[in-house]
Amino acid sequence: MTMDKILKKWFPVFVIPTLAAFIIGFIWPFIQGVYLSFCQFTTVNNAVFNGITNYQKAFTDESFANAFGFTVKFAIVSTILINIIAFIIALALTSNLKGKNIFRTVFFMPNLIGGIVLGYIWQILLNALMSAIGQPLLALNSKAGYWGLIILMCWQQIGYMMIIYIAGLQNVPQSLLEAAKIDGASSLQTIFRIKIPMVMPSITICLFLSITNSFKLFDQNLSLTAGEPAKATEMLALNIVNTFYARAGAAWKGIGQAKAVIFFAIVIVIALTQLYATRSKEVDQ
Amino acid sequence: MAKVILKDIKKIYPHSGSSRKRSLFKRKKNEPEKKSNLQITDQGVVAVQSFNLAIEDNEFIVLVGPSGCGKSTTLRMIAGLEEITEGELYIDGELMNKVEPKDRDIAMVFQSYALYPHLTIRQNIAFPLTIEKVPKDEINQRVEQAAEILGITDLLERRPKALSGGQRQRVAIGRAIVREPKILLMDEPLSNLDAKLRTQMRAEIIKLHRRIDTTFVYVTHDQVEAMTLGDRIVIMKDGFVQQVGTPQEVFNRPRNIFVAGFIGTPQMNFFDAKIILEHKQYYLEFNKQKIALTDELNEKLAKTSVDTMDIILGIRPNHIQIGASDDDQVVEFEGKIEVAEMMGTEMHLHILVEDEEKTVVVQIADISEEQLAQLKEDNILKFGFDLSHSHFFDAETELRIQK
Repeated sequence: MTMDKILKKWFPVFVIPTLAAFIIGFIWPFIQGVYLSFCQFTTVNNAVFNGITNYQKAFTDESFANAFGFTVKFAIVSTILINIIAFIIALALTSNLKGKNIFRTVFFMPNLIGGIVLGYIWQILLNALMSAIGQPLLALNSKAGYWGLIILMCWQQIGYMMIIYIAGLQNVPQSLLEAAKIDGASSLQTIFRIKIPMVMPSITICLFLSITNSFKLFDQNLSLTAGEPAKATEMLALNIVNTFYARAGAAWKGIGQAKAVIFFAIVIVIALTQLYATRSKEVDQ
Repeated sequence: MAKVILKDIKKIYPHSGSSRKRSLFKRKKNEPEKKSNLQITDQGVVAVQSFNLAIEDNEFIVLVGPSGCGKSTTLRMIAGLEEITEGELYIDGELMNKVEPKDRDIAMVFQSYALYPHLTIRQNIAFPLTIEKVPKDEINQRVEQAAEILGITDLLERRPKALSGGQRQRVAIGRAIVREPKILLMDEPLSNLDAKLRTQMRAEIIKLHRRIDTTFVYVTHDQVEAMTLGDRIVIMKDGFVQQVGTPQEVFNRPRNIFVAGFIGTPQMNFFDAKIILEHKQYYLEFNKQKIALTDELNEKLAKTSVDTMDIILGIRPNHIQIGASDDDQVVEFEGKIEVAEMMGTEMHLHILVEDEEKTVVVQIADISEEQLAQLKEDNILKFGFDLSHSHFFDAETELRIQK
């Protein structure tokens, strides 16, 4: 028997450990979680099936709808801003700029600080700014809260996406850029007609990361505004946590669970749609 | 169609910060750093220097030389992809040193084809025209015309990935000619193709040049390509032009030993010899023979006013004959056959002459069966060549002596 045949025959044995871990750690809790969203419970052991009541309540909960609207607004604006700015910086840092390695490091650094800490830092900064210009502080100012979250997210994510775009841009063959130059393309035309199509794989991955990150944002939301004022800046993840923990009564845990399942479905649908849309624009070299 | 004039062109690649530090560090440790014979100055590495050439309208110029000789750098300076450190470049009388590539009215074919992978073949060829904002109908018409010239009409809707190397190269040429540029630059366009396809594409490039009125500048390391394609050949080495001339000129009258050895396959053989001048008569001393040169050669040498000197004698492999001769202009030597390669109509012999390897090309049709039977490994034979076919080079300067 050749090695290939042996491997083919016995591969299930080698897959078992990973598969078991995956089932125990992910698949089973996930199924359990989906089941719990149809129950009333306080712990896993006292779950009582109650049909789609949780979902009905989740969908009629105004705060959930508000959080969804806020999250979508936030995700769209932050994804666009993060990717455009990151791409522009990546373009600049792949040209013959002096000290580009230092810039790359500096731009990446915010990513190394945790979301909670960043939230507090920006809260202090923004509140100081608000008081200086005579505006209400973040806790009473939903507009400032929204833009504060956007600024915070950009500040943290741009460096990370920039690194991915730099890697993509460096992969564009030099001869292609030279050919474009000789064919008469201006530098702007080269960016739009050559560079962007050539870095489509990077765009796919960056859009995926920034969309899902924005949708699932929690730490920064909690530490910067905590949803104030009056839940106006509450995003989906924070709304779910607040539903699950912050309200009295057995009913709310099931509703929180139902919201989490809805949340999961939304993120999956959006992410897959985006992946499908941008993947189709990728080309092999 | 355009006249191109390169005047005293020089290219220096400045030391990058880190390499300068490294070289200083190395010098301290007395490690000699030498990869090529390129001149290294305080400003940097000199890749091309004193390049002078006037390219005529519609001419096919080939730059040829070993890798690192500066041929591609020169081409890229004409294209505007490299800055010209010193000297002047004129296209149709206009100074082009600071002009952007897109404003030079040139097109270029790259070794790697450099096709845009996200565009179809039609879009690839149309790219320069789309940028120029040529009307759509005209673009279609010109793309199809170019495709027809190159025989790629049925590939137009595909993407580069689906094409073979030869087809991709055609598309790259198509993209270059569709603009009807003044000058068509080609940087080793055939190097990525297999031998058979290369020969075929070579013929097509010649046909293409006849068909479109454009000045061609072509870079290659392959002397066969240079000989077959070029109206004139520019042979370069270590950043210097060695010789400019028609294929015939550089083959028949190589200016120095480098050109003599570079042009022609198998390579020219070189022997140490001596010229002796006695009473206005030149003699050649070679292999213990002293031969009075013919009046013709004598006259030629007299014009150069050379004296008795050591020379290097060059003789092409096909000018060496087998066996002794009565002719007093034939120089003789003995050699041991190391390897005999049968090529069909001819035979290549690698022979050892005083521990140095030389090559002899024998036309099978020119020799008797008896002689052919002798051409076996380890046989020691007499060889000879007629002095009228030989090239004399100064042993010291390596320059050609006969004018």
